[in-house]
Amino acid sequence: MNSTAATPKLQPIPVEQFTLDNGLRVVMSKDDSIPVVSVAVYYDVGSRNEKQGRTGFAHLFEHMMFQGSENVPKAGHFQFIEKNGGTMNGTTSTERTNYFETLPASQLPLALWLESDRMRSLKVTHENLDNQREAVKEEKRLRYDNQPYGQVFVTISEMIYKNFANAHSTIGSMDDLDDATVDDVTEFFRIYYAPNNAVLTIVGSFEPDEARSLVEKYFGSIPSQPKPAQIDVNEPAEVAVRQKTLEDALAPFPAFLIGYKAPPRRSDEFAALELAGKLLYDGESSRLYQKLVKGDESIVQLFGFTDERRGPSSVLIGAIPKPGHDVKQIRQVMFDEIRQMATAGPTAEEMEKLRNGLINDEVRGRQSSMFRAQRLAEAALYDGDPNLVNTELERMLKITPEQIKSAVAKYLNTENRAELDVVPAEEKSDEE
Amino acid sequence: MNQQTEDFRKSAPAPLAPRSINLPNPSETVLPNGLKVVVVEDKRLPITSFRLSFRSGTANDPAEMPGLTAMTASQLNEGTTTRTSLQIAEEVERIGASLHAAPSADFTTVSASALSNYAPEILRLMTDVVLNPSFPENELALAKQNTLQNLQYQRSQPDFLSNEKVAQVIFGQHPYSRVAPTAESINSMTRDRLVAFHRQMFVPNNAVLIIVGDVDQAAMMRVVETLFGKWEKGETANPSFPSPPVRNERSIYVVDRPGSAQSNIALANIALPRTSPDYFPVLLMNQILGGGASSRLFMNLREEKGYTYGAYSSFDMRKLTGAFEATAEVRTQVTGDSLKEFFAELDRIRNEEVPAQELQDVKNYLTGVFPIRLETQEGLTGQILATQLYDLPNDYLATYREKINAVTASDIQRVAEKYIAPDRMAIVIVGDAAAISEQIKPFAGKIEYFDASGKSKELNKTMNNSAGNTTAEGTWNLSVSSPQGDLPISVTLKTESGNLGGTINSPLFGSSDITGGSIDGNKISAVSAVSFQGQSIEVKINGTIEGDSMRGSVTTSIPGIPELSFTGTKAD
Repeated sequence: MNSTAATPKLQPIPVEQFTLDNGLRVVMSKDDSIPVVSVAVYYDVGSRNEKQGRTGFAHLFEHMMFQGSENVPKAGHFQFIEKNGGTMNGTTSTERTNYFETLPASQLPLALWLESDRMRSLKVTHENLDNQREAVKEEKRLRYDNQPYGQVFVTISEMIYKNFANAHSTIGSMDDLDDATVDDVTEFFRIYYAPNNAVLTIVGSFEPDEARSLVEKYFGSIPSQPKPAQIDVNEPAEVAVRQKTLEDALAPFPAFLIGYKAPPRRSDEFAALELAGKLLYDGESSRLYQKLVKGDESIVQLFGFTDERRGPSSVLIGAIPKPGHDVKQIRQVMFDEIRQMATAGPTAEEMEKLRNGLINDEVRGRQSSMFRAQRLAEAALYDGDPNLVNTELERMLKITPEQIKSAVAKYLNTENRAELDVVPAEEKSDEE
Repeated sequence: MNQQTEDFRKSAPAPLAPRSINLPNPSETVLPNGLKVVVVEDKRLPITSFRLSFRSGTANDPAEMPGLTAMTASQLNEGTTTRTSLQIAEEVERIGASLHAAPSADFTTVSASALSNYAPEILRLMTDVVLNPSFPENELALAKQNTLQNLQYQRSQPDFLSNEKVAQVIFGQHPYSRVAPTAESINSMTRDRLVAFHRQMFVPNNAVLIIVGDVDQAAMMRVVETLFGKWEKGETANPSFPSPPVRNERSIYVVDRPGSAQSNIALANIALPRTSPDYFPVLLMNQILGGGASSRLFMNLREEKGYTYGAYSSFDMRKLTGAFEATAEVRTQVTGDSLKEFFAELDRIRNEEVPAQELQDVKNYLTGVFPIRLETQEGLTGQILATQLYDLPNDYLATYREKINAVTASDIQRVAEKYIAPDRMAIVIVGDAAAISEQIKPFAGKIEYFDASGKSKELNKTMNNSAGNTTAEGTWNLSVSSPQGDLPISVTLKTESGNLGGTINSPLFGSSDITGGSIDGNKISAVSAVSFQGQSIEVKINGTIEGDSMRGSVTTSIPGIPELSFTGTKAD
């Protein structure tokens, strides 16, 4: 087969950036192919910033940001966006809280008005707080408490990390949510939702001069705040807990998850682990899929991913075995495959697959203005340079088989790992 | 927050001048064997998408073998006359491409995409799996095994249980009622059956091939003619299906999931097919009612009441007919209150004319998000595919926004009355039957109970038998009233040489053994140490048993948490 077809040449994503006097970093990228515009605001606050007894705050706060500000009524944000033909959302991770919308290009002023109004004058009231506490609790019940295997990612994170900042979940605890007072939330807003703690990106069809003066008009007068306190995300090299068994009343089958500590994002070692992951567990030609789902026919489902963080990150690999297959034995097969990768490294065919896969993912991702807005915001917020989006592919393509091999040897081919077993809780006693 | 508000902030700004959109220009060709080919040159990025769709889906499964279409589609990638399963996976992934086949109710679509420099290569692979699958015995055996286990897994998910019951009660004998195969049907599938079914179903005169990407139309057609020109025409079947049942009353179907932290509520009735002339008014009406996060259901049940993380409505419009559904996952103790709000909103949209501004808002929404859907090649390809499969007019995409803007308030009310039927609705609730049975009584004359396997069950036996003998032993599903709402706890009691032992289970703190317990007549007491947020706390349960029900109180060693009362019943 023809494997030497020319690699397509990618046009760089245009990047224009400036910083307002109040410290707000702004990134713009013009593209007129479709008359839409995406706006993203990234605040440098995630669950990593939460203290003990105050878990779930960053996420609860994300909900509060839709509850109205001085000139936008409660729930008006949704409505203004939707009734002007846009889509929007907000999400919270360990690293950041983001808010984003895509609208017809003519509605850029609306997006900037809405984002600036809540950045400068969010309404934190008892009523809003109580209402959103309930919505968050329903979200927790829906996504965690009422789903089979709903607790595994929360649990494995507590097993991998020793530092509370890294270990606790983004959804937080019901008790901590109940303890949140209006004062806590107001203080959280003042510290973390300041313009100098945020990045604003605008991607799509617009005139740059017009966009820039709109940004200055809407965001320029929002006062900056003292820098938030530095947080410590340092971790010892060892995982916190090596083994744990979780009883899950909703799980129909046993399952397991293995967690490894990994170096921070954007390091070559992290990139090498990401690529190793693709070879080990991504897709039907991956080694573990071919070995366990196909060859041994011992598992019904395989999954794995890298949890990318600015501080210590992690790699997770898990499976749902078939009934009658020994979990220990399946795990041993995984460890053997990891050892194989750690000693012999990837093959030339695998490197070609990685190369084409990386190029394909990059091109496909770039189709959406929102995807580009998010990538630019991450590069600006985490790395201080949005232009990195244009060299990221090249950086990944430079990772060598040798680097993949040694990263696997160092981080995955080790007993320094967290093993979580999920077992279905005991069946009801008198059911025949 | 103490700054002077600048005047320009006080109201939403006016939009800038609108920017126009260039709609794609599809070129259509029909090959002599009947295969329709639609090519759209999309030069934005160096990628190409392919969709080969057959007008036959899971509704066309043989009546005795549900799941055959899905199994046949899933096996295309598992071997051809010249390639093994592994070779296919490796060849596809080595060029960074994707290749999958999956059915919907009415259609089966083989999807492929690749960087444009690999477009001819992925199209050759796609042709091979569609025309020459070999259905190896070992791959089929493995897929059957895995499908059986997945069927079991699906039953643990409340969404699946809800979808299954809704489809059964709404579509009755019509094949749209099947959302999953049965174990019997999976077990009875053979290689010969798949081979024959493939030969019958994958015929060019029942298919359309869509190609969208950075390609040259003429060059692409030459490749297509070489690859698909010799594919032989076949018979196309046009089966007739039984009509969905006519419902004359409202009833409730409860799928019991003891200990469920939430009730998954679905209110459903039969509605309209995708090709109905009422499509656009229904699209708008649904957007007003429950299509999004500023629709009435969401504003009421989430934003005002805080009952749920989200409440929505939708019309599932298929080729032959469709269903209306309003859904929310709500916490157990507001199940009845939520039903009340749902019906209030359904009545309002049927009985009151929609205000002009609200209608204009949803018009803006639907016309505004239209170009956003065309941003990605997948989105554009999906729109073109739907136009082809539902035989929509050629100017469908070009006139989409005009059609939206033409809908009136009286159209909205007319279609609401026609397609939403509160008095004949099926209410499906997946949740803890014992905890909700009283709350839901006012909402329907007839309530039926089912277990998670779909079997009918009697709830009354366990609920009303208070005069029976007192046996503490067994599993008790308790609902504890707390300031944060009802918490489910399941307690399994065992008597061992006169002492009371067993386990306490709760989604909040997992499972723990009863370390101290006593039983005195119909009164029990059980103590356990549970792990809660990394701390060990003591939980004490004092209960009084009457027949198959228990009531009492729970105390914990957490400071500031008062004694909490509970009620519950024995699991059967």
